[in-house]
Amino acid sequence: MKDFLKVSPLKILEGSTYKELGKGNLGVLMARAGVGKTSCLINIAFDKLFRGGKLVHVSLKDAPEKVTSYYHVIFSDLVKVLNMENEYEVRTLLDKNRIILAYLKESFDLNRLRKNLTNLIKEIDFTPDTLVVDGVDFAEAGRDIFEGFKGIAKEFNLEVWFSALSHRHITEVNERGIPFPCNNLDDLFNLIIQLDSTQSGVFLKLLKEHDSEVLPDAMVRLEPNNFLAME
Amino acid sequence: MVDDIQYLRNIGISAHIDSGKTTLTERILYYTKRIFAVHEVKGKDGVGAKMDSMDLEKERGITISSAATYCEWKGHKINIIDTPGHVDFTIEVERSLKVLDGAILVLCAVGGVQSQSITVDRQMNRHKVPRVAFINKCDRAGADPYRVVGQLRQRLNHNAILMQIPIGLEGDFSGVIDLVSMKAIYFEGPFGEDVKEGEIPSSLLDEAVSKREELLEAASMFSDELMEAILDGSVSEERIHEAVREGTISRQLTPVFMGSAYKNMGVQPVLDAVANYLPSPEEVENSALDMDEEEKEVLLSSDPNDPLVALAFKLEVTLYGQLTHLRIYQGTIGKGDDLVNTRTRKRIKVGRLVRMHADEMKDIPGARAGDIVALFGVSCFSGDTFTDGRLNWTMSSIFVPDPVISLAISPKDNRSDTNMAKALSRFIREDPTFQSRVDGESGQTIISGMGELHLEIYVERMKREFGAEVDTGIPQVAYREAISRRLEFDYTHKKQTGGAGQYGRVAGFMEPSEEGGYEFINRVKGGVIPSEFIPAVDKGFQSCLRKGLLIGFPVLGMRITVNDGRHHAVDSSERAFIQAAIGAFKQAYLRANPVILEPIMKVSVESPSEFQGNVMSSINQRRGLIMSSAEDGVFTTVEAEVPLAEMFGYATILRSMSQGKAEFTMEFSRYSKVPESIKEELKLRYKEKS
Repeated sequence: MKDFLKVSPLKILEGSTYKELGKGNLGVLMARAGVGKTSCLINIAFDKLFRGGKLVHVSLKDAPEKVTSYYHVIFSDLVKVLNMENEYEVRTLLDKNRIILAYLKESFDLNRLRKNLTNLIKEIDFTPDTLVVDGVDFAEAGRDIFEGFKGIAKEFNLEVWFSALSHRHITEVNERGIPFPCNNLDDLFNLIIQLDSTQSGVFLKLLKEHDSEVLPDAMVRLEPNNFLAME
Repeated sequence: MVDDIQYLRNIGISAHIDSGKTTLTERILYYTKRIFAVHEVKGKDGVGAKMDSMDLEKERGITISSAATYCEWKGHKINIIDTPGHVDFTIEVERSLKVLDGAILVLCAVGGVQSQSITVDRQMNRHKVPRVAFINKCDRAGADPYRVVGQLRQRLNHNAILMQIPIGLEGDFSGVIDLVSMKAIYFEGPFGEDVKEGEIPSSLLDEAVSKREELLEAASMFSDELMEAILDGSVSEERIHEAVREGTISRQLTPVFMGSAYKNMGVQPVLDAVANYLPSPEEVENSALDMDEEEKEVLLSSDPNDPLVALAFKLEVTLYGQLTHLRIYQGTIGKGDDLVNTRTRKRIKVGRLVRMHADEMKDIPGARAGDIVALFGVSCFSGDTFTDGRLNWTMSSIFVPDPVISLAISPKDNRSDTNMAKALSRFIREDPTFQSRVDGESGQTIISGMGELHLEIYVERMKREFGAEVDTGIPQVAYREAISRRLEFDYTHKKQTGGAGQYGRVAGFMEPSEEGGYEFINRVKGGVIPSEFIPAVDKGFQSCLRKGLLIGFPVLGMRITVNDGRHHAVDSSERAFIQAAIGAFKQAYLRANPVILEPIMKVSVESPSEFQGNVMSSINQRRGLIMSSAEDGVFTTVEAEVPLAEMFGYATILRSMSQGKAEFTMEFSRYSKVPESIKEELKLRYKEKS
């Protein structure tokens, strides 16, 4: 079996100063609609799971069944790409280390999440290292919610990854080069990555990396079919 | 006989337990003048609702079997199959869905989309059943039909669209606003039989206009004419109905109605919706398998002039013998006709043909394509196909899950002994997920089924319907065994003690098979085992699979390859090679690292959110793996995979930990290896027993 980490989209951090997001911090993956944001985010989740971490996938829009099917479809692709022979064992292990928390019909609030995470830790001894949060509307959410997530990241000692929808027609960029909708929130995020589909291919670009200066060529090219890094 | 198939509807009423589907059916029968008084499900009047035809169901207030009934509404003939709400009886639901062309999905305005609704909805998707939704109990405290519509969209992925909005809610619920006619509808008279139209109350006008716009936008996706009419400002009710019908039949739209069946409000518009939006039998594609053409799939025509194809989808025992519920897919059936059972090739004569009205019946001279009727005095199994003999077609088999739980039963006296045998033979014919056998060693009768409740109900039915009182043992999990590595065998069976000798040598290897079944591969060369004895070798191995050597449960997933052997010109026989194969199995099996597999259930627990921690903890204590937790309003649904062995008595525990507010459903998911400690415990128990 090939090593997932060799094709992980987070290979983008290999040449960076800190190499990772780090516990207590927030990271965001930005992309326009239809580019493959959710697939890429789930590949980031797989990166964490293949490193042996425990992960909670927080969905603010899809029911667990749909999220599970995303994981299964992407995992099936991985089985082929990685020539996985022990598919059943790997899948069982990954399922064991992942829990989906879904908040349907505007049921989400930070206290509820805090309570759910506490239940996972106390009642079933599941202490996550990573939260992957899908479905937050960055354009509408406001700063408070991300400050709240930052608090949760520190309180529960975990890293939090978001996906954010950017728009072709909104071209606002702040003085640090961070585009809408993260242009007014970038101080809260330690990593900002942009997924971009161009005529020459699909690329992941590093826009912000902690307090370090980002090199202009900090990017990886992804396979457009599975959003895994090209070797 | 139904004259015009386009006015025929075969529908089911399917939902979560206690959403009021039996009450809704009762009201439908009242408004269609099939009954002349209404009763409650848990009726104080001792009569009970019409569709719950079994005493036990009446007592428990739940619907177990799919009683069929017939009614007429505004020129349409409607066959209604009432379906059970418990997941333990899903075979009943599966069977009903197979013969339905459409369904009313009943949801509770307070409880919303609950776990059982999700299971039933999944089954409806599998059978491609179009549905209309009815949000019931809008008069109850906490009723919120808008939340339920949201759940339909989000949790069940329906393109749910409101056809009505409520006038008041909870105690103030007094009627609905029809967004097609833009009229207020009130239900007057002692049982809501007088439907009165009125102007929309001014306080609700803005909301009605806005919801109608949503309806038009959704419906226009299915009709260019409607889209043009919207642009022209010339929308007619007919155009909206056509577009909604198109969307519903293609299962891309779910029209949502609301009311309170108990308070006699909102039922008649649902009947209108059945007639207007659900398909007739000819609008649904059904297929069969041609047994003469290697089970090639063939489309059924719904033409009454074509050769007959009909499916026996339910059997019922009555005082007068077996009643067989039949769906006719094509052709016609008349009294006195000869029918052929495709499975047995036996010919039977149609004696009495009846149309069912719950537990009452009416004799009819004939029935044709699309109709649901019942035959009297026909001996067959549930799921059998009948033709007129011109075709050798069978309806594709209904998915039947394997039983996962067993229970030893013993009759309390001689009378019960005889009656128990009668009851078991009847139940086996009625329900393919219910099995019965006599254990060869203990001589005990073992019944098997899909869950604790499933078996409990049959034990009670034995007592009530057949007068058979039985003692029950502790429920047993249906474990399986499987080998985990390849192992070679080489065994010679030799017997020379008086009379003819026995000789046979079998060599080869056994290995795990990923497909889960048994596979026998013959690689014998040079006739060292003569070809006439190869089936005996196969038979010998197969006989061992019924009872594994580890804990005595059936063996799954094994491939046997035989590549060598020896025979004797005089002493070799079929019997000798069967014994040689059994010897080879015994020689290799325990060294091939056999493992014990246990059934893992997909469990869904729904509770008020404050109990999430308790629910998770209870699952964790049961070796369960939590997959997800979904928050929806004040409710949380925890989904997990839990070994069946750990689920006995869970209903009681869950009730006590949640003040009776949590509930759960479970269905078989897969087999999985038991942990080492449990393997040892099971082995020890088996050793003590044998």
